Amino acid sequence: MSSLDMELTVNGRAVKRPAKARMRLLDFLRDELNLTGTKEGCGAGECGTCSVFVDGKLVKSCLMPAAKANGATIETVEGLAKRGGLTYLQQAFHKTGASQCGYCIPGMVMAATGALRENPHAGLDEIKERLGGNICRCTGYSKIFEAVELARDVMNGALPVTALDGPGAGASYIGNNVRRLDAPSKVTGALKYAGDMVMPGMLHMQVLRSPVAHALIKSIDISEAEAMPGVECVITADDVPGEDGFGVFVHDQPIMARGRVRYVGEAIAAVAAVDVETAMAALGKIKVEYENLPAVFDAEAAMASGAPVLHDYAPDNIVKHIPIRKGDVEAGFADAELVVEQSYETQPVEHAYLEPEAGLAYVDHDGVVTVISPSQNITHHRHMLAKIIDRPINKVRFIMSPVGGGFGGKEDMIYQGMLALAAMKSGLPVRLVFTREESIISTAKRHPARITYKMGLKNDGRITAVEFRMISDGGAYGLSTEGVMRKAAILSCGPYDIANVKIDTHGVYTNNTPSGAFRTFGAMQAQFATESHLDICAGKLGLDPFEIRRVNMMRSGASTHTKQKLGSVSLGLALEAAEKASGWESGPSVARGGVRGDLGRAGNREPCTLGARIRTSHDVDTKEDIA
Amino acid sequence: MSRKCRGRGMAASWYGIARTATIDRAGAWAELDDGGTAKIVTGVTEIGEGILTVLAQIAAEELGVRPEDVTIGDNDTARSPEAAHAGATRQTYMIGNSVALACRDARVRLDAEIADHWGVDSGSLKAFDGEIWAEETNLKMTMEEAVDICKKRGVVPVGSGSFTAHGTGLDPEDGSGSPWQAYVFGCQVAEVEVDIVTGEVQVLGIWAAHDVGRAINPRGVEGQIEGGVVQGLGQALMEDYKLEDGHTTTHGFAKYILPTSLDVPQINSILIEDPDPLSPLGAKGIGEPALVPTAPAIMNAIYDAIGVRITSLPATPEKILAGLVAKREQEGTRHHAAE
Repeated sequence: MSSLDMELTVNGRAVKRPAKARMRLLDFLRDELNLTGTKEGCGAGECGTCSVFVDGKLVKSCLMPAAKANGATIETVEGLAKRGGLTYLQQAFHKTGASQCGYCIPGMVMAATGALRENPHAGLDEIKERLGGNICRCTGYSKIFEAVELARDVMNGALPVTALDGPGAGASYIGNNVRRLDAPSKVTGALKYAGDMVMPGMLHMQVLRSPVAHALIKSIDISEAEAMPGVECVITADDVPGEDGFGVFVHDQPIMARGRVRYVGEAIAAVAAVDVETAMAALGKIKVEYENLPAVFDAEAAMASGAPVLHDYAPDNIVKHIPIRKGDVEAGFADAELVVEQSYETQPVEHAYLEPEAGLAYVDHDGVVTVISPSQNITHHRHMLAKIIDRPINKVRFIMSPVGGGFGGKEDMIYQGMLALAAMKSGLPVRLVFTREESIISTAKRHPARITYKMGLKNDGRITAVEFRMISDGGAYGLSTEGVMRKAAILSCGPYDIANVKIDTHGVYTNNTPSGAFRTFGAMQAQFATESHLDICAGKLGLDPFEIRRVNMMRSGASTHTKQKLGSVSLGLALEAAEKASGWESGPSVARGGVRGDLGRAGNREPCTLGARIRTSHDVDTKEDIA
Repeated sequence: MSRKCRGRGMAASWYGIARTATIDRAGAWAELDDGGTAKIVTGVTEIGEGILTVLAQIAAEELGVRPEDVTIGDNDTARSPEAAHAGATRQTYMIGNSVALACRDARVRLDAEIADHWGVDSGSLKAFDGEIWAEETNLKMTMEEAVDICKKRGVVPVGSGSFTAHGTGLDPEDGSGSPWQAYVFGCQVAEVEVDIVTGEVQVLGIWAAHDVGRAINPRGVEGQIEGGVVQGLGQALMEDYKLEDGHTTTHGFAKYILPTSLDVPQINSILIEDPDPLSPLGAKGIGEPALVPTAPAIMNAIYDAIGVRITSLPATPEKILAGLVAKREQEGTRHHAAE
């Protein structure tokens, strides 16, 4: 492969070394200079995790060919502060809790550093604008804004440097805003995520994925790929020595497709080779013969008789049905003075953690198969992998690397099995780093839901009965669907004391991307319906939204929909606190936005308007009026 | 109707803490180490939520050291006790309480030796921020000295803890059961501005009141609420993983739209502390519950602003505009009928 002799300055040091022609500046920094503080989040210039300064200008290094940086002066997150130290801005991130998983943070620190270099007096709107090219999935950005404003004020002398100090011991470390212990490692880029880790002799894995949604695999021919120089091994389902299957509740998914693929993006085979390019080239040499099967892409269609069946054990395509019954709903509806029916729908949602899946596996000197990955459940992964590779449980070791965002999406053992098999087969350490596209097509989403809701109420707002039915597309494999259906059912009708409920949640197999665990585990979908429905009903009854909830809320000692007797119930406190803090003006739930008097109070931000938010000090205020 | 219409909505929520409808458990080991430092080993920690710091605070409080003196975080199935998974809003509750119990166990060992050394009752010993003392005496020393004395007496001050949460399974027919021993409740108010020409919705303010039992690190709790709210906002207004015959059409961040710094509202968090009576710390959790009421609060606010009820997420500009058209037609029909 052709290469270019690079001469440039990186973090104040002269660097002279060749760069392969295909390299992006990001690869050169990470792979050649081991400056792994610069992260790859999307590889498409969308997320900003790879931000660096090139000749003083903020650049997304995934979009810049290394060759273009020849002769340039580069500054990365590692170069911002003296070794072992933190800049004011980094200290401010530490102080405010601006880093959570930390994966976006080096890029965020770079963008914020750039913002304050461009305008040391930048206001909040300008700070937001200048951070607009950097995505954070954990923090909600709020503590990041606070950090940049704090650093600005310290740098301008408006606040003393001591404003960056921690809170001290006080009377207790409980209830104390102790600064995050892991923040310094995150704001400097020092923390190594799995994709940053290297081992001597390490191989690189690439995965062949299904281009079809539902098909039998008639044959896989790996001979040509296996024979390629630089390829150490090719693995398929045939390399699994034990009982092949993983999943959080039902172990219905093989490590790689076993005779049949059930969704687009499902792993078919994997190659471990001396570098990523060789592994990728080898994927092109694997020949797979598919025989297409009828596919089903809609949950309700999958429940109909005659629908294509995905898994033999579930001929009705039902992953899980959770019923909850309490009281007598028919009597409850008969007793009602108002009955309201409405259906609701929620969409599949991507976790979009900034760290794509990555892992590193090796077999140690004692024959222990070891997998390092940002797994949210190393305990369960160890149990499953031991069965899959047919080893005693103490010969399987899972190490949880720093997790660059999980939100439930890293509970599934979606790739760790392939890494283990390749390490066992090759005898060498093997690393796999997903691209963003690979992460999106192959890993779980939040369950989409279709909910039908029927609620009976008295004129005073008291709920007499609820019938709740939810159908969720679980996709091609079970993953967490069973648990999601259970939690959705238990929490469905909200924290309200309802004598008569009939609840059914159904998780269904289809040939779509699997659905899985995602922050709230079904509760969000279900309560979206309940809380929307309550407002609709309040509108019909002329009640205030808080009032209808207070009329029905569970109080201490209440019995839940599953007939659990509760101890202390804090809902009344939460309602009161939100109502008071927001200065809520009481009134019926009837689209009274045009007449209500509680809008635009403190606690809101200004609306964004089109046009630049970056202003020089002599710009006149041209804020658009609200018509 | 003005072009920019504002409105407010609210939604309440509830959530269960730790694993659902099953018994949950977590283990931890603790050691008071040389120099008055401490080692904590447990099977699962940080996924970004700040649990490392929370656990260090808990260990510091229980052991009488400083959080920065606590070494923690080697999550390794071959080297640390089982603590299961990082999810289910269980970290503070399950791992936090197991760490507290492990530290208390280590303190029993240390305190027995120090009490004997001083000739006082071990019940009179208190420790905080690197020092240990006997109440109502002038006896006081650093934890560094205390650990040194303990070890010279032949005892390594180690401890272990296991914490259990007693959930029960659901009846397969009527679903009855006690899925969690701790519940949290919350409420959010959203204020929005809807542009009726473009259909764009901006969320300007969120007031989020959540019961967390006991806030170990209030700033960390706020961070969880802010992150949860913005994920809820993403789901409410823009995020949509789309498939056509099993093939996604949203395979990158150029197509899959996420909230950025310009989309987020001002988030006003109100922490409520209704302590859990069944656990040593009284803390519950916040990771997942913070997200639950956001989307419905926003939908209710959109309705308040423009009288359009969005029942299918996300509330894209296209859906808002279609809703406005339908509403005008309906009003026109009604108006017509009244004539």
